[in-house]
Amino acid sequence: MEDKEQKLENSVMGKINSGKIGLKSKYLFLAEKLGLGTAFALSVLLSVLLFNLILFYLKETDNLKYLSLGKFGIFAFLESFPYLLVIAFVILIGLSGYLITKSDVSYKKPFGYLAVGLVIFIMIFGGILTFTNLAHGIEKQARGGGPAGMFLMPLTNMRNSGVAGIVFERGDDYLILETPHGLRNVGIENVERVSLIEKGQFVIAVGSQDGHDFNVERIKVVDKKDVPAIGRGIEFKFSPFIEKDLNEENIKLLPSDLLYFDKQYRDCIKICFDSEVGPKDCFKECHK
Amino acid sequence: MEQLSDEQIVTDILKGDKDLYREIIKRYSEKLSRYLRKFLSDRDDIEDILQVVFIKAYKNLYGFNVNKKFSSWIYRIAHNEAINHLKRFRNGRISLDDIEYKLIDEKADIKKDADRMFLKKDVERVISNLDIKYRDPIVLFYFEDMSYEEISDVLRIPKNTVGTLILRGKNLIKQYLEDINKKHGR
Repeated sequence: MEDKEQKLENSVMGKINSGKIGLKSKYLFLAEKLGLGTAFALSVLLSVLLFNLILFYLKETDNLKYLSLGKFGIFAFLESFPYLLVIAFVILIGLSGYLITKSDVSYKKPFGYLAVGLVIFIMIFGGILTFTNLAHGIEKQARGGGPAGMFLMPLTNMRNSGVAGIVFERGDDYLILETPHGLRNVGIENVERVSLIEKGQFVIAVGSQDGHDFNVERIKVVDKKDVPAIGRGIEFKFSPFIEKDLNEENIKLLPSDLLYFDKQYRDCIKICFDSEVGPKDCFKECHK
Repeated sequence: MEQLSDEQIVTDILKGDKDLYREIIKRYSEKLSRYLRKFLSDRDDIEDILQVVFIKAYKNLYGFNVNKKFSSWIYRIAHNEAINHLKRFRNGRISLDDIEYKLIDEKADIKKDADRMFLKKDVERVISNLDIKYRDPIVLFYFEDMSYEEISDVLRIPKNTVGTLILRGKNLIKQYLEDINKKHGR
């Protein structure tokens, strides 16, 4: 036994003294620790930011509001849901958890405790961030095409199952809505009690897209404060052309790409505007 | 030299006194060899792994935090090597020497009734068949005389889990031995 121990000792020391094996650089371990720490800090910070954006999106956009509009609302909710944001958040939480397990102290406490602690930390700080303008800045990037805006892209995407906006014009069987995508023609033949809807009101509606028109199945008046991001979207879209609120006079200044109607309808409206007929009559006329 | 702690020796090695590593090998070769025998049966395999453990430990000495226990750190390396080997090859029957047999018999209190006789080979077989997650803490606790804290550092599991695994492992050993007794009509 002693012989074997001596043999082992000589063999290992022989390799050390001959330089066959050497100490790994201390900077390697330092870099590993720093890299791990930095990656962990970054993943937690990004998780906090993404959680903040999820809260912001659910609170300020039309996404959650659709759920109050029955089964059609579910489609609109699913369509406007910020999948990329949620998936990136889940991946980052997973990454943070994985990096915790690689730390020197993680095993001292059961992983469940650490995971719950991490999630609570992210939720608290993500919640605190809602008091800052960070999410609004990213919203601006989303509208302006900035890279950080990609997580809020569903905010600017056109929905096929839902629409939200301000009533600009109300006909017997249609509404003209100011939306973040321009003026939209919304058919309300299938809806009852639309008489309650008035010009200037903020509405959300669910239904189906038919070409450039939208056929409403259910519609609801909401407070503008309930969907502030939609209000900002409308302002962003119209403000380059219209100084304040859209009205019967300044509507003629809108470029044709903001008239989100089919080509025939759009051309008709434009020609009608040029002929000095009021917009209400133009919409009525062209809607036929 | 004997008065120097492992951690002090490591500090001196890192300062440039490479030859001091001989003392580390002297202090741990028998202990680690005994530890590895609880996972591997082939003597040559144990010697090979032992050499790998000492080489890896030397190479990674800068990765050791001298404010922590060196023994836990080097046992961790040995543990990882043993597990890697077990993943690659079949697990053979472990062997206990007489002192170890006595240790597990007394400390783990597996022989409650005086008239129950367990043969050493029965105990060896039962420990060999014990799931690695129970075998590891039992070996470290009963044979390597480590505290829960040290076992926690070696196996990287919470201290409470160490206690739970030891208790469950001990109960499993007792259960298996009772089954063997019944089978043989002792």
